Amino acid sequence: MIMKSNERFKPYISWMTVTVLIILLPIIIPSPYVMSMMVFVALYGVLAIGMGVLMGQAGLFSLTQPTWFGLGAYIAGILAVRGILTPWIGIIVGAASVGLISYVISAPVLRLQGHYLACATFGILIIAEIAFVQLGDITGGHSGLLDIPPLSIGGFVFRSDLHYYFLSWALCVGCLWFSYNVINSRVGRAIKSSRDSEVASKTLGVNIPKYRRQIFVLTSVMAALAGGIFCFYLRLIAPSSFSFALLVELMLMIVIGGIGSLWGLLLGSFVITWLSELIHLYLGKVFPIMTGEVDAIFFGTLVILVLIFMPRGLAGWVEQLFHLGKRGYGHFRR
Amino acid sequence: MLGGMLTWVFFGVGLAPAIILAIVSITIIGIILERLTIRPVRYPTEIIHMVITIAAAAAIRGIILVTCSFQTRLIEPFIATGPIHFLGASMAPQAVFVIGTLVIVTIALSLFFNRTLFGKALRATAINPNGARLVGIRIERLKIFCFGLAGGLGAIAGIVTAPITFTNYEIGIMLGLKGLVAAIVGEWSLTGTVLAGVALGLAEAFFAGFISPGWKDALALLIMIAFLVTRTISFSPRVRKE
Repeated sequence: MIMKSNERFKPYISWMTVTVLIILLPIIIPSPYVMSMMVFVALYGVLAIGMGVLMGQAGLFSLTQPTWFGLGAYIAGILAVRGILTPWIGIIVGAASVGLISYVISAPVLRLQGHYLACATFGILIIAEIAFVQLGDITGGHSGLLDIPPLSIGGFVFRSDLHYYFLSWALCVGCLWFSYNVINSRVGRAIKSSRDSEVASKTLGVNIPKYRRQIFVLTSVMAALAGGIFCFYLRLIAPSSFSFALLVELMLMIVIGGIGSLWGLLLGSFVITWLSELIHLYLGKVFPIMTGEVDAIFFGTLVILVLIFMPRGLAGWVEQLFHLGKRGYGHFRR
Repeated sequence: MLGGMLTWVFFGVGLAPAIILAIVSITIIGIILERLTIRPVRYPTEIIHMVITIAAAAAIRGIILVTCSFQTRLIEPFIATGPIHFLGASMAPQAVFVIGTLVIVTIALSLFFNRTLFGKALRATAINPNGARLVGIRIERLKIFCFGLAGGLGAIAGIVTAPITFTNYEIGIMLGLKGLVAAIVGEWSLTGTVLAGVALGLAEAFFAGFISPGWKDALALLIMIAFLVTRTISFSPRVRKE
């Protein structure tokens, strides 16, 4: 459904367009504010891609993405603050240890199916949130981890939003490209077949637990890498950044973007990050208390509306528009 | 959460009418929610229903936060007497109400599910919706009824415990989660769930008292994960090989 059997479709054209757009954006709109927003778009985009691949391609309703994001951020941050390792190695160590943890966890947890998997992973999410707060000696508790040093290569220090813009988008496009290749590879086809019919793919000799575990670990490592960059960009992290609220936002990105398409997930991240910023800007005067919970009124309503009226998300909607343009009205109500 | 907060909102008309008003209005809210958000979905799957209900819960939380502010509200205990002494332990009089409500609701529900035709139809629908539809059960009506019933029961729980735990806009999520834990550990049967809930509450209280109060919410979730995972493991590999 994602890649149509259109002979003229050339993936590299859209990849090049996106890359050029990302490089040109700082020249077209050279404002630090836009740059900093786009950093968040990219980092949340990585999370949304991971969760979307798990839910849409593998059919695993896993809610742990914010946890891996937070763990990656905390491990990298703590190592850098304590001066144990340099930031770069900290990010890699964070991602590697998250990969290890998710590998260990995946063995029992991925045996669960459907909403039981969601329950268990939601439990992991809340436990991690409690742990970030309770391990106050290491993590800084509620007030969070402060004074994280910035990233640097040699003598070049990553200070401005622009530097992090390129870094985070490099990661984001890398993850997108990687996921695109994975889901169109042998592993990806196996994963998709196990989503559509577990029995059929098992009969054909697909080692479902192995592939599920691989995709689970891959997406968690992606999230941890994003977390590493997140902590060095903000230079302070608090447990509230990795909580239930982030999960709701991620779900929203996936629902709005459309679960079946990788581009849609990035689009979802873009729309939601900017939408939440606009809501804060313009509705802050109307409502005196403007917190994540108040956002939830809009976002919750939006999720429900989108699921009812646009079940395939923005990406599906755009696809339909293309169809409309190409083949006339007859195909609109497929 | 809604139960406690709405009772607080309606408190001007007196305690008993406020409670009844709160329960009725939450039942209606549950029914409206089903009608507006669950019914119109074109391709219903488990995941979509879960996402919708989570989103609706988040939205309701936000609305309560905006309209009733974030302060913790206090509801007076239903009877204003001193602590009751029972077998050497003292407990708040409100606790009697909580336990009494638990017993009454459990008995009423088990009678409803096992003795009435409507309750039996409901169980049949849960086991096999298509089969239930074939024998002439109106699933759509039952769904509405279930949402109303669940809303009403949640409201009762929220109201009865409100004088002990107090009430604010975010009290529901952890309670709801623990309800889910109890239901999973109790294997979705009525008595099992109630027993599991009581056991879970006791375990949590002991854990908070003797080990660490901060980690007590993690305990319930750990129990849930451990329970879910152990259910998937077959302990008799030899039998399977034969």
